[in-house]
Amino acid sequence: MARFERLIRSSLLACTMLSVMVTVLVILSVLSETVNFFSNVSMLDFFFGTEWSPQTASHVGQTGSSGTFGAVPVFLGTFLVTLIAMAVAAPLGLYSAIYLSVYASPKFRSWAKPILEILAGVPSVVYGYFAVITVAPFLRAGGEMIGLSIVSESALTAGVVMGIMITPYVMSISEDVISAVPKDLSFGSLAIGATESETVKKVILPTALPGIVSALLLGVSRGVGETMVVVMAAGMAANLTINPLESVTTATVQIMMLLVGDHEFDSDKTRAAFALGFSLFVMTLILNIVALIIVKRYRERYD
Amino acid sequence: MIKLFERRRRITMQRIKKKKSPFIYKSYSKKPKHTWLRKRKAAERRFRFVGFIAIVISSLFLISLAWNIFSSGRSAFIETQIELPITFQADLIEKKAYRTIIQNALLDVFPDVNTRKEKRLLFVLVSRNAPYELKKIIEKNPELIGTKKDIWVLASSAVSIFYKQRLLEESKRIGNINVVQSAWITLLSQSKRMRTAFNFAFFTNGDSREAEQAGVLVSVIGSFMTILICVLMAFPLGVATAIYLEEFAPKNWFTDFIEININNLAAVPSIIFGLLGLSIYLNFFGVPRSSSLVGGMVLALLILPVIVISTRNALQTVPSSIRFAAAALGATPTQVVFHHILIYALPGIMTGVILGVARAFGETAPLLMIGMVAFIADVPKSFSDPATTLPVQVYLWANNPELGFVEKTAAAIMVLLGVMVLINLLAVYIRRRYEIKW
Repeated sequence: MARFERLIRSSLLACTMLSVMVTVLVILSVLSETVNFFSNVSMLDFFFGTEWSPQTASHVGQTGSSGTFGAVPVFLGTFLVTLIAMAVAAPLGLYSAIYLSVYASPKFRSWAKPILEILAGVPSVVYGYFAVITVAPFLRAGGEMIGLSIVSESALTAGVVMGIMITPYVMSISEDVISAVPKDLSFGSLAIGATESETVKKVILPTALPGIVSALLLGVSRGVGETMVVVMAAGMAANLTINPLESVTTATVQIMMLLVGDHEFDSDKTRAAFALGFSLFVMTLILNIVALIIVKRYRERYD
Repeated sequence: MIKLFERRRRITMQRIKKKKSPFIYKSYSKKPKHTWLRKRKAAERRFRFVGFIAIVISSLFLISLAWNIFSSGRSAFIETQIELPITFQADLIEKKAYRTIIQNALLDVFPDVNTRKEKRLLFVLVSRNAPYELKKIIEKNPELIGTKKDIWVLASSAVSIFYKQRLLEESKRIGNINVVQSAWITLLSQSKRMRTAFNFAFFTNGDSREAEQAGVLVSVIGSFMTILICVLMAFPLGVATAIYLEEFAPKNWFTDFIEININNLAAVPSIIFGLLGLSIYLNFFGVPRSSSLVGGMVLALLILPVIVISTRNALQTVPSSIRFAAAALGATPTQVVFHHILIYALPGIMTGVILGVARAFGETAPLLMIGMVAFIADVPKSFSDPATTLPVQVYLWANNPELGFVEKTAAAIMVLLGVMVLINLLAVYIRRRYEIKW
């Protein structure tokens, strides 16, 4: 019997180790290709170069590579699209969360929350289609009306749609955080005559600030790693610009572009995708860890 | 806030000096409302309104998304057919010249079409796949050879869109159809040689180069095969990991490390799992590219943390009285877990697994990276055959510049969302029906 117990216990442990192996595998697989890549292309060129054209060599005799890999435009594009997305998602998500947790009647909540949850469950490829078919022409027409020319693969389109996608995510985390604020605090504020909005602005939000910051950070990490919307709605060419009306590319788009299709696997071009992937991985990891630490501290303070 | 109190205090003091009652509410009844109070109330209303608007905007997004997909996708469920007087000439059938038979029939309907250019315009009215359908009809009914009969054949997608547009809104939009062709279509519909029918082919066909023939069956089957592999891998692994972490793991740094690992895995962008699939599964282990096997293996990694986390939550909700009771009756620790705790936690675990499956079902990016992006027209026969999944099919069609594929994309999205809704309803049902409230 004891042997049987041990057997089960050790097989459970084996399964756990296998699950942990996954993380290790992720890091190893991406890291090894990245190291290979940086043995051919200098790290300085990659992180500070401003020209990204992996398909062609920029000058003859460039060290062992097939193109130029200056990732600044790619990262800048990622940053720009994510920024636009957060400009949409942060106010929408936050205000929705506040309204739902402070003002909404139970009846209103019971239909408003499922709607936002549906938005969270829609697959990203559907958002991509929505961006291309509806949002891009809409923004373009809107831009023409006020005399702006917006290209159809603009950063604005991708950012807005990505923002819609992230909104329910930001909302549900901020709602949790807001409802975690001890009721005594808001009751105290209401009791001395503050209106509900004054309570929210001066008591609840300052208290919940760490949690809200981490909700926003998680939203950013979501946006940075999002693929399908930008693949379908953002551009392919790496333009060094921060104009949201122009076309930019993102890290995920470039990874897709470099790896989808039948390429020989051992070229700098494909390895560049792994280097981008690794940077992405590190970026989201840092964002998540920071967010989790903030939330944990915050919980400890009020639990 | 402070200002408010200052103000209130000042007013009170003034009233006391004038030997009036210090209670301010009396001052309201005599004078008009204080502007600062009005301002505060206005600010309150504004704030509340902005919050409401935020929710309305989110809802509007959802409504416009749904409306867009519905309005552009509904026509994909209707196909257009043309009736042609087909002469089953034995010599042409012998030569397998089915295309010629159909072209002759078209020329019979429009005898005044003579020039080569006009003929070409006429012939594209009928689907390029119509000859294959004709072949099937002849193989089924060989007695038709040598006779003449009216047969409904599939119209091309351009004709179909044109015809359906007219039916729907009487518009003059012409699309890919030019004036001559539009006159022919009018003629055909006036002589009752055109009809619409429910597009069964959309549910029974695979992908096709011709929009009017393209269907979702192959990708739906591919999706289910992929999900099957994914669940077979992730379910036992995830549940076992959760049981270990929740019930058996000693409290030490190593357990903490595992926990942090799994929580972080949940936040890794899905495209990174595609990179992993590419470099480890495809290049290191040599799993067949584009197959549902490798797709399932990649998605398994993606939903593994989801399953672990939800299983742990489900295990946590089982009250410890159950555990103590079982242990008191002499059950060993594994018996306590497997005979009691796990049974009670099962509905919660199943709900978590189903929600994980829903996520895997809608995932596209990592599958594109491991080559499931190919054109697949036939049902995969085994797990190592090239396959595609429904979201990938949506992506492929969305990238197809041909006009006929726009409605197909929207219709495929409708199928995709429909399946997602079903999966989620299943989760809700299990939760309502089996979950025990402690």
